[in-house]
Amino acid sequence: MTPHGPLADMVRARLRGRTGRRFWRGVEELAETAAFDAFLRAEFPALALPKTAIDRRSLLKVMAASFALAGLTGCEVEPDEAALPYVRSPEFVVPGEPKWYATSVTLAGFARPVLGKTHVGRPVKLEGNPDHPATRGATDAFMQAALLDLYDPARSQSPRLDGRPVAWSAVDAALADRRAALDRSGGEGLRLLTGATSSPTLAGQMVALAARWPAARWHVHEPLDDDAGRAAIARVFGRPLEPHLVLEDADVVVCLDADPLGTGPRQPVHARRWSERRAAMRGGDGHSRLFVAEPTPTITGAIAEDRLPVAPQRIGVLVHALARALGVPADGAPTLTAHERQWLESATAALESRPGRALAVVGAAQPSWVHALSLLVNERLGSFGATLRFSEPVLALPPEPTHGLPALAADMHAGRVETLVILDANPLYAAPPDFALAEAMRRVPFRLHAGLHRDETAAACSWHLPLPHELELWSDARAVDGTAGIIQPLVRPFYPVRSQHEVIAGLLGGGESGQHLVRDRWRHDLGGEFDERWIEALRRGFVAGSAPAAVVPTVADRSGDIGAADDRGGLSVAIRPDSTVWDGRFAGNAWLQELPKPLTKVTWGNVILVAPALAAERSLRNGDEVRLDVDGRSVTGAAWILPGQDAQTVTVTLGYGRRQPDGVADGLGYDAYALARDDGIGFRGGAALAVTGARHEIACTQHHQAMDGYDFVRTVASSDLHAADGERPEARGEPPSLYPAHVPDSPSWGMSIDLDACIGCNACVVACVAENNVPVVGKPLVAQGREMHWLRIDRYYEGDPAAPTSYFQPVPCMHCEQAPCEMGCPVNAAVHSRDGLNLQVYNRCIGTRTCSSYCPYKVRRFNWFDYTGGDPEPVRAMRNPDVTVRARGVMEKCTYCIQRISRARIAAKLEDRAIRDGEVVTACQAACPTRAIVFGDVTDPATRVSREKARPRSYSLLEEANTRPRTTYLARIETGRGRGGGGAR
Amino acid sequence: MTDRSAAPAGTVAATGRVVRIPLSYPTPRAWWACFGVSLCLLLTFFVSCAVLFRYGVGVWGNNIPVNWGLAIANYIFFLGIGHAGTLISALLLLLQAHWRNALNRFAEAMTLVAVVCAGLYPILHLGRPWLFYWMAPYPNTMALWPQFKSPLTWDFFAVLTYLTVSVLFWYIGIVPDLASVRDRARRRRAQVLYGLGALGWRGSARHWARWRQAYVLTAALAVPLVVSVHSEISLLFAAGPIPGWNSTVFPPYFVAGAAFSGFAVVSMIAVVLRSALGLEAVVTPRHLDLLGKLFLATGLMTAYGYFAEAFDVLYSGAHQEMATLGDRVSGGYAWSYWGAVLANFVPLQLLWWRAARRHPLALFLVGLSATAGMWLERYMLLVTALYRDYLVSSWGIYHASFWEWALFAGMLGVFLTPFLLFVRFLPVISAFEVREAAFEERREERHA
Repeated sequence: MTPHGPLADMVRARLRGRTGRRFWRGVEELAETAAFDAFLRAEFPALALPKTAIDRRSLLKVMAASFALAGLTGCEVEPDEAALPYVRSPEFVVPGEPKWYATSVTLAGFARPVLGKTHVGRPVKLEGNPDHPATRGATDAFMQAALLDLYDPARSQSPRLDGRPVAWSAVDAALADRRAALDRSGGEGLRLLTGATSSPTLAGQMVALAARWPAARWHVHEPLDDDAGRAAIARVFGRPLEPHLVLEDADVVVCLDADPLGTGPRQPVHARRWSERRAAMRGGDGHSRLFVAEPTPTITGAIAEDRLPVAPQRIGVLVHALARALGVPADGAPTLTAHERQWLESATAALESRPGRALAVVGAAQPSWVHALSLLVNERLGSFGATLRFSEPVLALPPEPTHGLPALAADMHAGRVETLVILDANPLYAAPPDFALAEAMRRVPFRLHAGLHRDETAAACSWHLPLPHELELWSDARAVDGTAGIIQPLVRPFYPVRSQHEVIAGLLGGGESGQHLVRDRWRHDLGGEFDERWIEALRRGFVAGSAPAAVVPTVADRSGDIGAADDRGGLSVAIRPDSTVWDGRFAGNAWLQELPKPLTKVTWGNVILVAPALAAERSLRNGDEVRLDVDGRSVTGAAWILPGQDAQTVTVTLGYGRRQPDGVADGLGYDAYALARDDGIGFRGGAALAVTGARHEIACTQHHQAMDGYDFVRTVASSDLHAADGERPEARGEPPSLYPAHVPDSPSWGMSIDLDACIGCNACVVACVAENNVPVVGKPLVAQGREMHWLRIDRYYEGDPAAPTSYFQPVPCMHCEQAPCEMGCPVNAAVHSRDGLNLQVYNRCIGTRTCSSYCPYKVRRFNWFDYTGGDPEPVRAMRNPDVTVRARGVMEKCTYCIQRISRARIAAKLEDRAIRDGEVVTACQAACPTRAIVFGDVTDPATRVSREKARPRSYSLLEEANTRPRTTYLARIETGRGRGGGGAR
Repeated sequence: MTDRSAAPAGTVAATGRVVRIPLSYPTPRAWWACFGVSLCLLLTFFVSCAVLFRYGVGVWGNNIPVNWGLAIANYIFFLGIGHAGTLISALLLLLQAHWRNALNRFAEAMTLVAVVCAGLYPILHLGRPWLFYWMAPYPNTMALWPQFKSPLTWDFFAVLTYLTVSVLFWYIGIVPDLASVRDRARRRRAQVLYGLGALGWRGSARHWARWRQAYVLTAALAVPLVVSVHSEISLLFAAGPIPGWNSTVFPPYFVAGAAFSGFAVVSMIAVVLRSALGLEAVVTPRHLDLLGKLFLATGLMTAYGYFAEAFDVLYSGAHQEMATLGDRVSGGYAWSYWGAVLANFVPLQLLWWRAARRHPLALFLVGLSATAGMWLERYMLLVTALYRDYLVSSWGIYHASFWEWALFAGMLGVFLTPFLLFVRFLPVISAFEVREAAFEERREERHA
């Protein structure tokens, strides 16, 4: 090729300004074009270095550049003072001593209360708020990963008009124009679109806005909303109510395509409540039985006692049959298959056996009539006020009944919208294509989008305003129980941003700060002694007693209509939220991208889930590209065989196939919104699957799923549990050894993980990543088996692939007493501490990797490349300063959060006392919503961990390797079954 | 014995030829061609090292279950082939098997370069190779010693000791021949250089007496090393609690395998050198025959190792061990297992026939096959144990990357370049010992 045209220009551009000699292999290389890169990759694939190492580095460079540019665009922030060290340190700021602030991060409008840990003014870790009445300290992966979003380099950093950065003054001028026009027209043509919100301040502002401009309309669009459930409640009870599942009181739960323990805003609360029921059951108080019928496996299904894979259309039939079996009046007689009847009979029997302590739950994907019928079923079961309680709605909704996206889209198409303000929503990506929003947008003269990212919607709007991250703004939100929490900033905004409240205030002509707006809103509610109560609310993170009162509703409509089932032949498609990127809003979060999805263990992308039987029928292998056609729409993605999937159902997950590049999610997966419909129902029939013949590389962290006859996960039958509980298992003392017995110091640390409580939700994994500065390596390296997670959750299957039993097993370092890694290391980098920890001394490690070769658990992770050295200043600011950042070529692994142990030891020494039980809480333990992980001193028999380890269910992983692990497991309890559990083996 | 009577007649002339080779090389064009190729390979070595050091060991294909790969397999392979030199030289010297004289010099040289190659690998495969010396016990400000329980620490000592003793043994052996070359050299520079190497050897009776003492003493040091070094290397695997490694059969199995692969390489070199340098009179079919017998014997011992290992597993019935055996014979790397079995032991059976042993080409091909087979065996032992160890969840597959293969090719350059220089510039066969042996035999005949 000769340098013609654009290439020559590029070459000249690159050579300009260079001095001295520079060698190049070809003009294409000189130009560093994508074409050359493609050529290199095609001709000499091996020469092209692993892309991530480069990608990540360039990503980090972008990060550095973007933070540098932040200074240029930061017009409204007061000028940066020169950074000088403290001459006299500010009071109460002790470097190395973290400060904690209570606040909340939201998902789908609901607050998830957190305690944010900051070091010298920078947030480094979020923990659950243990005092909060709803979550009681429970967290989930999204909550843990919110921290990374704060430091995300792809965040929007300045207001823009048609893609060009502008100053906020220009925004103010434009808003003033709009205000004048709206004042004249009484708000005609003004539409606001937000995501679901529970913010009292925002709701108040909307009321004020409606008062000033009566013709204005507020619309809410939440991609994964429970519209059908809400509509059913409104119909059955005659008014909107918020349902609350009281899982801690439910001895029997029947989930019909419902995943109450799965990903979503309610996950921490539900998981905590379920675990309490489970713990009570283990203590001999009542039962904890779970029946699940669902088309695609969820983590709720994975831990169910009896799980029925069934097509999504059959759920309505099952609910109908259940209603009839329980004597709820419903027309018609559903016909069930033998499997369905069998499952339903045992589920019905279980439900009937526990009146007032039983619960039937229907998932958001099901149509409204199924929800309505399930409410009648619950009424019959005596659940109301017991296992199913209601309160006034928690989310703030516009007064009009037609407040959703469909009404807005129709108005936009009709040209009735002149001013559109989109606050923190991305309807151009996360909405069914039925609305043709891209086209509708063009009919709106004034389009303003405010968001954290310049996403697809920002690209379609003329104005874009950057919003602050929730850790740097003032707001408020209600948790799922309705308790309001004040959102306060942990850090001053990094960029010139304005919160939603400030944007609306700006539109209304006020220039109040967010703090001012939120305070004003609460001044009334908190009443007298406002300052004390306000400070108390900030300190605790929530306003005690602010939850709406419980309502015992009366059924107004008992009609129990039966809807028509989608009886078209072919396959059914279930459209589901993604378990790591939800509706797509977390797609830019690299921690969540690298997080293995609980059941598939796939990272960095979504796959099309097919049943083993369907895969065998179509000769599909994992990674084969397939095209899924439904009603003239199609998606193309990689097939993935998921045991337990309904044979005639194909599942797609939302959140991928992004169209607006952000440096993280580009080119990953397919966009399942293409199959979504405006009726909000998460499934449809009549789908066709075609194999295209192409292959996709899928980064999966666990390729083998069967336990192969080993007993890595042990179970005990629930009938054996109480019989075995009283007696100690036969002495499982130390096996014979040639060496003198080792007498451990006190304290000596150990961990116990209760597999009966673990739901595989991944909160611990992300908590570990955040706490321990675990690097992200990217898709190609994960595919190569080089993920860096110190804690992984192994998932095993047993039994028939069509309907297997699933098991989760979190695997951190075992901290073996007889650690093979310590024996293998030639340079004393793997050593044992006096308090029983198996330590890895990073600066002594030379990277022989013997420790990892010898590790029977393969929990060690190696820095194959320099994952951290190129990190710019802002990324360093996010790191936990208590944890060493590892260099290239060293081994790393779980430390039992040694930094937390040290902190507790120092505190105890200062007070001249022993470390108390429960004083050291590891990051994974703190994050666990089901309290499956217990950590403490194993030499003291009174500690919680010692008591856990003394249970008959306790066992060591790979006991036969004689490594004497300090991390032990408690066998899972299975109703009516069990294989060689615990010590009874 | 026709050879016995025939050999001495030609040997005196032939040994003269041997020491003349460094001064006037018989086939310079072929040598330059070979040397050119090996220099290219050497360049590949430097390039792949530069890439390795620049980006880190991540440019290789290793991952978490298989965090050792081609590097460690090659380390064991090269160290293995390095065993034949010492075995032929030292053990047979002590046993006074004079026929070894035709083979020992180049076998020792081969050992030296192989040990150098082997020694480079564990350093290159480190995450932080610039800190490799932390494995050595040296006084340091950290007041830290190596961790003596680790097989890697033993490796470090074993390889270093083996290298030192091999260099000494080879050099002591070559001193009298360097003196011969010096005496025949005409150019001043050659006289000085070979003279320096000859350490002022004058061939006096006292020189010979001292030399004999030193040589036998070094041989006595070297012989136990043959057994100990590869036993120790095997502990790199056997000491780990990994199914497929953790076996007591490994030390003898590895020693037999090492000797076997060494004889395979020595056979190939012997066949090539005798024809390339016209040394058919020195390295006679009788030598090839004896070499073939040793080759066959060590091969059968290695085969026994295979058998014992499999028997061990089947007899124990341990679930994990059985699974690893199953993976070896039918898993993702079954090609390496069956490749090793076929390449090692099938062509080897030819050597039961005397005609095959004496036939240079047949011996060469069997040697080539066994070399490839033993390489496959090292790869198989390493990868099949690691890629599926205890926990099913952490199983993973390993493919060597381009840069691993490049380094392997480069390492062949590291092997060939010094060896070709040795062939070109030093006496490839111990001329004085051949002559001494011929003289002894002639005297025996006279007395008979």
